[in-house]
Amino acid sequence: MRKKTFFITLEGPANALALNRDCSQVAVAGRNVFKIFDINDDLNSFNETLNLRVGKNLNLNYSCNDVVWSCIEENLLATAATNGSVVIWNLQKSTRSKIDQVLMHHKRTVNKVCFHPSEGHLLLSGSQDGTMKLFDLRRGDISMEFNSQSESVRDVQFSPHQEWMFAAVQENGNVQLWDSRRNDKYLRQFTAHSGPVFSCDWHPEDRRWFATAGRDKTIKVWDLTIAGTPIVEHCIQTIASVAKLKWRPERKLNIASCSLLLDFTIYVWDVMRPFVPFATFTEHKDTTTDFVWRGSSHTLLSVGKDGLLYQHSIKDAQRPADHANPCGLDINNYNDICHAVSDLISKSNGLSSSNSGSYPIQSSNNNNNSSSKSGITGALAHYASSSLRLLKKKTDYNEQFRCCTSSLFYIKNECTNKALSMDWFVTSALKYQLSGRPFSELCLQNAEVAMHLNRPQVAQTWKVINQLFSGTKSGTFSGPPSASIAANSSNNADDKVDPADIRAPSRHTSGSVSGRHLNGKTTATQTTNPLNIGPFSMLTPAEQTSAQTEEDSDSSDVENIFPPTSKAYIRLDEKSLKQSDFFFGDGDVSSSATLAVTYEIVPNESTIADEHAQDWDLPREAFQPRHPIQDLQIPPDIDAINTYPSSPTSLDEDETAVEELSNIGSGVLSNVDTITKSLLSTTVPHNPSWKFTDIIVDILHFYAAQGDIQTTISIIIVLGERIKSSVDENLLEFWFHSYIDLLSRFELWNIASQIICLSPVRNINILNQTSTTIYSNCGNCLKPLTGKVAWLCEKCKTSPSICSVCRGVCKGVYVWCQGCSHGGHLLHMSDWFSKNRFCPTGCGHQCEYT
Amino acid sequence: MFVTRSIDCDHKDLIHDVAYDFYGKRLATCSSDQSVKVWDITPDGQWKCTASWKTHSGSVWKVTWAHPEFGQVLATCSFDRTAAVWEELIVEGSSGERNQSHWVKRATFVDSRTPVTDVKFAPKHLGLQLATCSTEGQLRIYDAPDIMNLSQWPLQHDISCRMQCSCVTWSHSRLHPPMIAVGSDDNTPAAKVIIFEYSESTRRWIEIEAISFYTDPVHDIAFAPNVGLSYNLLGIATKDVRILSITPQQVQDQMGVNTSYQTNQQSLSSSSPLKHEIKQVMQFNDHGAQVWRIAWNVTGTILASSGEDGTVRLWKANYLENWKCVGVIKGDSFNPGSNLTYVSAIVSDQTENENRSDRNMNKQTARYYRLSNINNPNNVPWH
Repeated sequence: MRKKTFFITLEGPANALALNRDCSQVAVAGRNVFKIFDINDDLNSFNETLNLRVGKNLNLNYSCNDVVWSCIEENLLATAATNGSVVIWNLQKSTRSKIDQVLMHHKRTVNKVCFHPSEGHLLLSGSQDGTMKLFDLRRGDISMEFNSQSESVRDVQFSPHQEWMFAAVQENGNVQLWDSRRNDKYLRQFTAHSGPVFSCDWHPEDRRWFATAGRDKTIKVWDLTIAGTPIVEHCIQTIASVAKLKWRPERKLNIASCSLLLDFTIYVWDVMRPFVPFATFTEHKDTTTDFVWRGSSHTLLSVGKDGLLYQHSIKDAQRPADHANPCGLDINNYNDICHAVSDLISKSNGLSSSNSGSYPIQSSNNNNNSSSKSGITGALAHYASSSLRLLKKKTDYNEQFRCCTSSLFYIKNECTNKALSMDWFVTSALKYQLSGRPFSELCLQNAEVAMHLNRPQVAQTWKVINQLFSGTKSGTFSGPPSASIAANSSNNADDKVDPADIRAPSRHTSGSVSGRHLNGKTTATQTTNPLNIGPFSMLTPAEQTSAQTEEDSDSSDVENIFPPTSKAYIRLDEKSLKQSDFFFGDGDVSSSATLAVTYEIVPNESTIADEHAQDWDLPREAFQPRHPIQDLQIPPDIDAINTYPSSPTSLDEDETAVEELSNIGSGVLSNVDTITKSLLSTTVPHNPSWKFTDIIVDILHFYAAQGDIQTTISIIIVLGERIKSSVDENLLEFWFHSYIDLLSRFELWNIASQIICLSPVRNINILNQTSTTIYSNCGNCLKPLTGKVAWLCEKCKTSPSICSVCRGVCKGVYVWCQGCSHGGHLLHMSDWFSKNRFCPTGCGHQCEYT
Repeated sequence: MFVTRSIDCDHKDLIHDVAYDFYGKRLATCSSDQSVKVWDITPDGQWKCTASWKTHSGSVWKVTWAHPEFGQVLATCSFDRTAAVWEELIVEGSSGERNQSHWVKRATFVDSRTPVTDVKFAPKHLGLQLATCSTEGQLRIYDAPDIMNLSQWPLQHDISCRMQCSCVTWSHSRLHPPMIAVGSDDNTPAAKVIIFEYSESTRRWIEIEAISFYTDPVHDIAFAPNVGLSYNLLGIATKDVRILSITPQQVQDQMGVNTSYQTNQQSLSSSSPLKHEIKQVMQFNDHGAQVWRIAWNVTGTILASSGEDGTVRLWKANYLENWKCVGVIKGDSFNPGSNLTYVSAIVSDQTENENRSDRNMNKQTARYYRLSNINNPNNVPWH
């Protein structure tokens, strides 16, 4: 027979319930309810068998605080009425009203009645008036009266072990043990709780244990066998005042409780694990007033202020421990891990070295526990079975429930692996140079830093950027060439250059140094924009753009340092209408890894272009990364000539080149669209930007997406004006915020404020200027000093900071005594106090100048 | 290489949560024994308990740090149906040295009628806000209008999630409207992850997505710290580890993903400002059991997960955005109290190989050594 949870609605809130001896019937009593129900286990329902609340005058005798069913006389019930009477009910009475006796002896309401466990005619009551009375129902009178000497008695319970003894708990927090045969003095008394004790229960099996609970939200289990003051064996902290307590039959360590207010749940606790309820019943919609275990450990009956009578099945109970997270995990900014794990999990997974002997693997339970059982039960089963084998000891849920310790581990990251460590971040943050030196020096320095940290990809990026933007200089210097390049690019964008082909040579020149991530990204960007090659391997944009910025067909004066490509004259996409030729040359001999690629642009009028192209020549040296740009903000063309002070090429040559290039430009012009025209008309193309700005932007996005916001921000700052306005302002702000946040995580405040200062975003710049104002009040009129000068109060036209020594207005540092509030110039005051001890104003205060 | 050190934590019941502070130098642990402990790292790298106090009258489920800009502030939530905010007061010892610090309760949140299962501070740029979720299915958002006064936390939003909530997380992105994801661990076959977005125009949190293809109980959920992504990554701990990417649909998605699920968009209300594309980026069952906890590193590039198998696994995306297990750490727990150092796992150093060739990266796997046995074949990382 499956025991199920079911309920019935009563007419009103119930205060108490009682079971008959064989647990087949339940009596429910309240202010307006007094009924007896049959419990039908087959139909899972309650059937009302008797309504005791009948009669002509329903007086307060019918309003019950407590009800108890005699466990000896089948038809005998007793109720504790709110008017102070104890009412005896006999169900065998033939009249409609079953009231047998009304024992009106208490002056105030009766809180609790209790039958003697073996002598059916003895009934004990505990009342609000502070007395307990033992009634002899045969005589219908009091046989003994006990005075608790306190305000009120909340609960009385006969001991199941020594039947002459009973316990009484009081509102003043005391527990008294009485011998029911003598009423002069209690046997023992001790203070159990701070505040009222509401309930107590003797352990049904263990003679030692006695549980109490009270308004201080605790359940305490006492060992009463110890002489003197009993000690607390277990203490369970609950979340609300505890109104009722009942040990769970057949389960030695379980005790159930319900709350007086606020909390509607019935809890079943395991005293061995005092913090987490073993099971909870949450069905009641209002305060649970009383509950009783129905003979066995599996079912529980309860009533509540919501007017519901429930039968709960332990199977349907919620197990909060199952929802409890057995693991804790966090990573800090150094990628150290902190891991807290339940010992049960560790044990069940055989992490213990003592358990390391092989035993059958329990893999199945892990996979099928997804449905009704939550994970922990799965692991518990696992644990149970493994311990069965290993420890030859049967474990049940209770035992696993009690296995409730955790181990805390600090897993220090000592990985040299850059993927898992954050050392690179701190080191680069400290070592990166972002301003104060020429652009290319910054780039190279940063490249070196990155290289040093074993981040070749980032190093390469820096070098490429250096190359690109140093190259820009020459490109913009000659103006028209860049325009023609733009033309070419816009043509190319339509149909020509296949990035794959460009990449192919780059692959074997760049070799293994190019970063692995970049190539991955390539495939993504490639499809979206054929020219916008994206941040794929660094050399590709370098080749492409440098090729496109420097038009040069003659590489004879170039010393190639890459044998495989130096001689190679790579044809790019022969089938395309345009012929594009690549040269792989050496742009900067000093920086061995950079490549300057010569790239001949052959527009549709290829022959014309060829003629011109062969005429002019730009010297390699022009693209030395170390051109002395002092101010990054200066448009490159202004001091273009200064850019090449050491250039062996004469100015004349450059000029011819310009002329010729403009020819090319005009030649191309005929074929290109309006965009190109506008570009051409700009004689000073500020970052004529063509497409490599986009590539840079892609690089920025790429690093940001990699979580390496540091590189992104550093590049942005180093590039400064060059990249400005090509990234969305909001995005830029977001990036800067992210980086600053990250820096502050590593407590790199100086770097963070450096970044704030260097940021091109206004909203970031002003971060340093927030909350830097100190507001002061005038010492004379106590009004805020709002004037332009801090030393003059505009309200009272006085100066609040007069030096006590020289009587002059103190405009700088003003020191004052906190005792007498007089002060003045720092120098004067220190002078004064080197000779005197008292305040210079003569106020008599002995100032302490330190 | 990871070195595992056992900390003698002296909690009397299960530890449910650990949290590093913003700088990674302090640690808070909370336990069912109703207490919270705060640990500070000593110069020689040891963790020292500087405070331990009883916070609630029930199990403390979660503990979380506020941004240090707001002071040394912790929030806890508990089985006792409350959440609380705590602030540290430094008590100067006689020696002048910083002794046991004292934490005072600044606020208690009593709106929930059921256990509060998670509490999280909003990212700093949203000010001092706190989100809590409870088993009755309510997501509550509190806001301290005056950051100097931690005792005033008016309830700003009370949102029903219609499920037993187990975890909540804020998105960290400044770029997008504030977003909150809530997970549930009940056993119904309904959606277990709901995502809310704050609408500036209506000043309300709007449910933008109930991810209906997740029906297994979700134990933990975490948005990745966003340091520059145009989309949000959401880590989910359920019976396995999963990562979702949430992309506002205006932004072009360029990610390569393993599996993509198009979620039902019909739940989007008309007032929703943006449609979102939600894709599953990874799903791994390496734990072979329930996954209880996940945590992201600061840059949002590594996800750590902890499961029923007692291991910590580290996940990282490779250049193709394929997530891989890069490390397995097994604690050896049966020397509680001892401070012995164990080398539990060594994660392969990818750098050498990275330098050698970028094409081999596909085959990059983690090697690890362990001292203790793995008895479950599912525990063995498979690559």
